[in-house]
Amino acid sequence: MSTKIDERRPEAAPRRAGVGTVVRKVFGADWSSAAIALVGLIVVVGLLRPEFLSFTQLSNVAQQSVYVALMASGLAFLITQGEVDLSVGGTYVLSAVATAILIQNGLDPWLAAICGLLLAVAVGALNSVVVLGIRINSLIATLAMGWVLRGLSAAISGGRQIIGMPIDHPFFTILGGGEILNVAVSVWILVLVVAVLTVVLRATPFGFRVREIGSNEDAAQFAGIPVRRTKATAFLMSGFIAGIAGLLGLAFFTSGDPTSGNGFELFAVAGAVIGGNPLTGGRATVFGAAIGAVLLNAVSIALVYFNIPAVWSQFATGLIIISAVSVDGIRRHRRSPQDA
Amino acid sequence: MYTLEAQDISKSYGGVRALDRAAIAVRPGSVHALLGENGAGKSTLVKIMTGAIRPDSGVLRLDGADVRFASTADAFRQGVGVVSQELSLFPHLSVLANMFPMREPRRGPFVDRREMLRLAVPILDELGLEVDPMVPVSRLPLAERQLVEIGKALVTKPRVLLLDEPTSALESGATDRLLHILRVLRSQDVAVVFVSHILEEVMSVCDEITVLRDGVVVTAGEDVGAHTVESVVSAMIGDRPRVVVRPSGRALAEQAVATTTSGLRVDGVTLHRTVQDVSFAVEPGEIVGLAGLAGSGPAELLRALAGIESPVRGTISLPGGIKAPHGQRAHIAAGVAYVSGDRRRLGLMLDKPVWENVVQVRTMAMGKDGAFLRVPGLVTRAGEHMSRLNIRASSPEATAGSLSGGNQQKVVLAKWLDNTPSTIVLDDPTRGVDIGAKAEIHGLLGDLAAAGAVVVLRSTDLEELVAVCERVIVLYRGRICAELRGDGLSTSALLQLMNTGELAPEGSQAPAS
Repeated sequence: MSTKIDERRPEAAPRRAGVGTVVRKVFGADWSSAAIALVGLIVVVGLLRPEFLSFTQLSNVAQQSVYVALMASGLAFLITQGEVDLSVGGTYVLSAVATAILIQNGLDPWLAAICGLLLAVAVGALNSVVVLGIRINSLIATLAMGWVLRGLSAAISGGRQIIGMPIDHPFFTILGGGEILNVAVSVWILVLVVAVLTVVLRATPFGFRVREIGSNEDAAQFAGIPVRRTKATAFLMSGFIAGIAGLLGLAFFTSGDPTSGNGFELFAVAGAVIGGNPLTGGRATVFGAAIGAVLLNAVSIALVYFNIPAVWSQFATGLIIISAVSVDGIRRHRRSPQDA
Repeated sequence: MYTLEAQDISKSYGGVRALDRAAIAVRPGSVHALLGENGAGKSTLVKIMTGAIRPDSGVLRLDGADVRFASTADAFRQGVGVVSQELSLFPHLSVLANMFPMREPRRGPFVDRREMLRLAVPILDELGLEVDPMVPVSRLPLAERQLVEIGKALVTKPRVLLLDEPTSALESGATDRLLHILRVLRSQDVAVVFVSHILEEVMSVCDEITVLRDGVVVTAGEDVGAHTVESVVSAMIGDRPRVVVRPSGRALAEQAVATTTSGLRVDGVTLHRTVQDVSFAVEPGEIVGLAGLAGSGPAELLRALAGIESPVRGTISLPGGIKAPHGQRAHIAAGVAYVSGDRRRLGLMLDKPVWENVVQVRTMAMGKDGAFLRVPGLVTRAGEHMSRLNIRASSPEATAGSLSGGNQQKVVLAKWLDNTPSTIVLDDPTRGVDIGAKAEIHGLLGDLAAAGAVVVLRSTDLEELVAVCERVIVLYRGRICAELRGDGLSTSALLQLMNTGELAPEGSQAPAS
């Protein structure tokens, strides 16, 4: 038996530990297609429209991707367990609007931000009660929760943007407008979050539990893994991270807009999947999820360079999501006969 | 004159020869038993006869004409049906719908229910299944589901029917029902191939027997009257010594278990709907077996020992005098290991590397190695377990799914031993495991007990219970009916107690007691 394995799967034999292998080991295996696609996209667009390659433009892409990339990073922990959180868009909006209202009423922006984060975590807690306590499928439960949160945001803001922020306050100047080494602070926060979550995913029992539940939930339960607690933690994390995204959005746009963040949850899920977090579960990569989200944003920005009318951009983005996921699916199918 | 003949069938897997010029010939209206130990090639031959796999060489003849089956569906269309151990019914659909999977009689684009009833009702009546055909299968007890499965095969009027270990699901009164079913099949001139490991039953219901040993036919279609249980057993086993040599060292097992002074105590335990007022104790160093038909409680009792199910009444105390905590996870933390034979569903993550499976309980679930994990150290530890338990895989990085059944089961054992348990509860741990790995696992259990573990084993393989356990507690309808040990411990005694709850006096053992 063992000799047969050796023949079929050369990668099982000792191999050269190249830089790529090491990098892939650290960040998780399946992000490569999204990363290649992202680099390819930048190169192709850059060749046809050199102005796209300017540092300003590229950092603009990164900056605009931060919100969805953050959400996708948190979603990686849920998707690999066979759950999903479609309320991240709503959480983003609610934390931004609620924090803005508190600031408008004179609360210190930092304190208001902490309240906004707590609110976002509370949303995560509510999601875990509904999904794990009442046992409603997370797809439908969090989809509805997203509407609840957007509706709540619209109600408490009276449907209007919350403006009049003290834009000279460090909360806005640092998180919204600040730069370190010419790169927006929000991008650094994304980098930090991805790094921390990657360590959590790859080097803590929680990170392993998350993927093991995705591999075989019954076996995980039998091995003593606290399945419900692990899933609940992932919902709390997802809410917390969507809250961070909401605060960064508030700091950047300097207003709490109840109509913002449209479709963020779908971009985040699609980004996570494209980046190498299959919906079938068991595998996860935070880095890939973030890259996938950046890729989707880069596509929609690149479309502008080709004079594609704005009315067609949603159409094109949808097509690109389908083709990216299909390429990934085809690759997987080709690999699976060996795995079986 | 034979309905189905298989001749000169050979089949190899990798380098292992599963069948070597094997043959079987089944007459119409006759019940032909196919016997052999696990791994002797029975299931390979059954799979070849039903089109599930193709032989490397050899011929199949149906009514004298050479045939080739492209698939089980193809074999089915040509008149070869199979009723297997694992039921293939759709639980949410009605009995009627289940009897015509993908081949409902139609009237235009619609399903012709009247025609379905006309075809199905006589068969259900004949099988003695008195249920409304519109009832969903999920509401039927297991034994009746098995009848539906047989009915489903009969609807197509098969020429040949293979019954692959049907009695394990038929439960109480199994033999009577089986005799009845076989009578029905005989009257319809169906050629029946009967695969079972319950020899007494085989002797009482079959007409002819074929015995396989190591892929070779050692008894070819002989009349059952010429045989006794003893002669069949010796044909199955040959001159190989019955007691297997224990391959692993005792010193190795000693580090794998946590030793305690006092044992496991089960005191007046009653479980929801199954076990009634059961008390027993298992001391460190003992291997105690639990036997009983499905539904009479042994599996449920094991689940209670593992903390998956809580007793309605009574108490369980774990070795060391610890009162059993609440919940499965707390039991694991208290030193209980629950090794399931259902490794694909409950034991392993098939897509994950072996090392991650091995360290799952201790490192991931119990978090005993701290908040930050060093993967290379874990891989090394898993590698040590692999060499200790003789797990054959190319490396700890190989995916668990790429291993053979026996090695997979050893990985399941390794992951529990990694957590140094004091109580090891095993549920059919050698199901579908080849004979070599089985012997190794049995040896390991002996070593673990010798090292001071409390070992409780449930098995559907009675010979395994007899071979491994010092004593076996037999449950009948949820209560302990006997405890067998020493010379009194035999498969025939177990079988009788499991089926009737009592042991007939010596000499009066009727075949269909």
